[in-house]
Amino acid sequence: MSSKEIIVKDLTFRYKEQKDRNAIENINLEVEKGEFIVIMGPSGAGKSTLAQCLNGLIPHFTKGHYSGEVIVRGIKVKETPVSKMAKEIGLVFQDFESQLFSTNTKLEIAFGPENFGVEREEIQNRIERILKIVNLEGLEDRPPSTLSGGQKQRLAIGSVLACMPSIICMDEPTTDLDPIGKIGIFNIAKELHKDKDLTLIIIEHETEEALNADRIILMEKGRIIKDGKAEEILREVELIEQIGLMPLQIPKYFSQVSSLKKEELPLTYEEGVQKFKELKLQIDEEKYNEILKREEERERSYGDVIIDIKDVEYMYPNGTKALDGINLQIKEGEFLALLGHNGSGKTTLAKHLNCLLKPTNGSVIVYGKDTKKSNVYEIGNYVGYAFQNPDHQIFADTVYEEVAFGPRMRGYSEEEVKERVAEALKSVDMESFEKEDPFSLSKGERQRIAVASILAARPRVIILDEPTTGLDYKEQKKMMQLVKKLNENGHTIVMITHTMWIVSEYAHKVAVMKDGKIEMYGKVRDVFKEDEKLKNLFLKTPPIVNMSNRLGETFLSVEEMVSCTRR
Amino acid sequence: MDMFLYMDKDSLLHRLDPRTKIFIMLISFAIALMFSSLSILLVLSAVIILYGYTGKVLANLKRIQVILIMIALMSVILWAFTYPGTTRIWGPITKEGIIYGIAIGIKFDIMIISGMIFLSSTKIEEISLGLMKLGIPYRPAFAFSTAVRLVPMIVATSYTITQAQKSRGLDLDTGNLIQRIKKYIPLLIPVLISIIRQANILAMALESKGFGYSDKRTNYLEIKFTASDYVFITIAFLILLFAIYFKIKYKM
Repeated sequence: MSSKEIIVKDLTFRYKEQKDRNAIENINLEVEKGEFIVIMGPSGAGKSTLAQCLNGLIPHFTKGHYSGEVIVRGIKVKETPVSKMAKEIGLVFQDFESQLFSTNTKLEIAFGPENFGVEREEIQNRIERILKIVNLEGLEDRPPSTLSGGQKQRLAIGSVLACMPSIICMDEPTTDLDPIGKIGIFNIAKELHKDKDLTLIIIEHETEEALNADRIILMEKGRIIKDGKAEEILREVELIEQIGLMPLQIPKYFSQVSSLKKEELPLTYEEGVQKFKELKLQIDEEKYNEILKREEERERSYGDVIIDIKDVEYMYPNGTKALDGINLQIKEGEFLALLGHNGSGKTTLAKHLNCLLKPTNGSVIVYGKDTKKSNVYEIGNYVGYAFQNPDHQIFADTVYEEVAFGPRMRGYSEEEVKERVAEALKSVDMESFEKEDPFSLSKGERQRIAVASILAARPRVIILDEPTTGLDYKEQKKMMQLVKKLNENGHTIVMITHTMWIVSEYAHKVAVMKDGKIEMYGKVRDVFKEDEKLKNLFLKTPPIVNMSNRLGETFLSVEEMVSCTRR
Repeated sequence: MDMFLYMDKDSLLHRLDPRTKIFIMLISFAIALMFSSLSILLVLSAVIILYGYTGKVLANLKRIQVILIMIALMSVILWAFTYPGTTRIWGPITKEGIIYGIAIGIKFDIMIISGMIFLSSTKIEEISLGLMKLGIPYRPAFAFSTAVRLVPMIVATSYTITQAQKSRGLDLDTGNLIQRIKKYIPLLIPVLISIIRQANILAMALESKGFGYSDKRTNYLEIKFTASDYVFITIAFLILLFAIYFKIKYKM
């Protein structure tokens, strides 16, 4: 029995507050030693619940209706306290900010071994070894708060590794990270996988990163719906899309333009380029030129320059230079994406647009007003700013009250407020939610409420700070369709994001930032044409862009390329 | 933005045993509470500032200067009106009242500064280790040090939330007192919810790293008394004895 690392038998769990259905239902699963498994599924599929069942947080920490059995390395989880299980299986959480609590990196790593009564010298050895594995050498005396997001998550992984478990389970370790941070985590995963005695389980909803795994488990609504080899599952384009995940672009493209059998579908863009030539497919230049023409027309349709940023420098009170000579003009009706890593200055720049920050040098003119002589309250009439985490602003008992907050603060009559709330909720397709409690809604819905509460001020420019972070593909698409609609209705959009396919498919223009400067700027198609240059900035363009670039033209989405492919 | 109080410097004060620093902090509290005489409190604050200076941590006081000034001001205003003095300056305000107010303000400021110096020069892990060595069990000691750690986390979250609500039109600067207090609700609720959520994750992360595995826990950090600890403790103790003697002899 104990030859398997993990055995899950008929596991069902329901949270106390959950009424309609079980969080996970009838899960049966066996994991061999040394496997690298990726668990994928849309929000609410039960992935995190399953992970917490493995190390005993469920049912010991979070209680509910539990039936079935989980055996990890021969130990019955239900009968063993979490702190004992920690020796066998380590769990890393998505939220790295809340996981770290020590004064410096060294002590963070030492915490686990200290609990297990490991001798001091051995702890010292482990610290040195772990720092190497998670690539944090030289940072041992730094307080975790001063590390970058990627470094923090690597430290969180290191602090779990220090307990020397045989199984590591990471719950969406890359969701809150920028592209560089993501790469760092996946490199560690690859390194760890080389250790044949270590079993690795990663929960992800980004399909592309699952390519490295041995095995993928697809979950939906609390059940395992597919379990198999990574390459096989990733070719299930339709199924993946149907349950609300993003399918790999290359197999999706070929499943639409060719009659290849599933097992023949290429997975990576390199394979795609080859297959394209093999199948003698061609790009219809005429149709491609039409797309370019439409884009130029759109370019001409923009209105006046409404935001004018001139030679802006910004220095934080502690002396760090966050912006260094920014020049940028935004025209009415544009849809601009700001790309770049955390710390590149995107958010600092965006905060200048609604006057949350004022430039140290240079000027920002918004609708003819110099922000240096204005304030958030006044500029707020023109520019709305939706913060990244909707939970940082939701406070009211009902959706109506929540959205009404802005207009009320501005002193509008109750009649006007009502009208504005109705209009804002209609814009985000949530008209029937007025009486709902915002806290009971899903993350995607809360995100839309946050956008609605910005819209209620009727701003002409909307700044969105990572509006899709933490949402699954289906929710992301819904959110972006909403943003697109707002843009088509005349709103100017400025969006900060890390998600390359979203920039590719939705934005008109893109500014790539690095070290407080704008490194690249232009139409998305023109910027994404230079995928090598972007790659050097650690920004990975979507596979369809890479493939089409190799074939001579730049396509921004699968649909676009399919429409221009001659078979 | 770095929200943590601890300043990682190499100084005599940093190298002291946390128990010594706890002891010195408590003595400074005791002396500050014993006296209300302006001159004695001024001397005491000079000694404490000097103590903080040896640890190169006085820069942290800048961060709380507003609080320090506010406390002093409040105390002066309060006592100026209410202290039963005789030398009237203007209306009910007396000279004695103002002096007494300054003294009380300094008394509280001394305690805050002394606590601040302790937190700025002592790692959280050292604090809990120090408390454990003083006989406090691990769990309460850990809970205390975690509470200290949560403060900067709360401040950082509040900062983001304030910016988010300001962007939605929250204007904290207008309205009467009640209106203003009401305006803090959109800040308080998201802050509270964020903290509860973060604390929950922290608790799960702790258990997942073997917190509470057994009562025998090793400590990676080592603390022990050195010569300088004995010197500091002796000096602090002598000052305390002298203060008590002074208090009894002159009935201050």
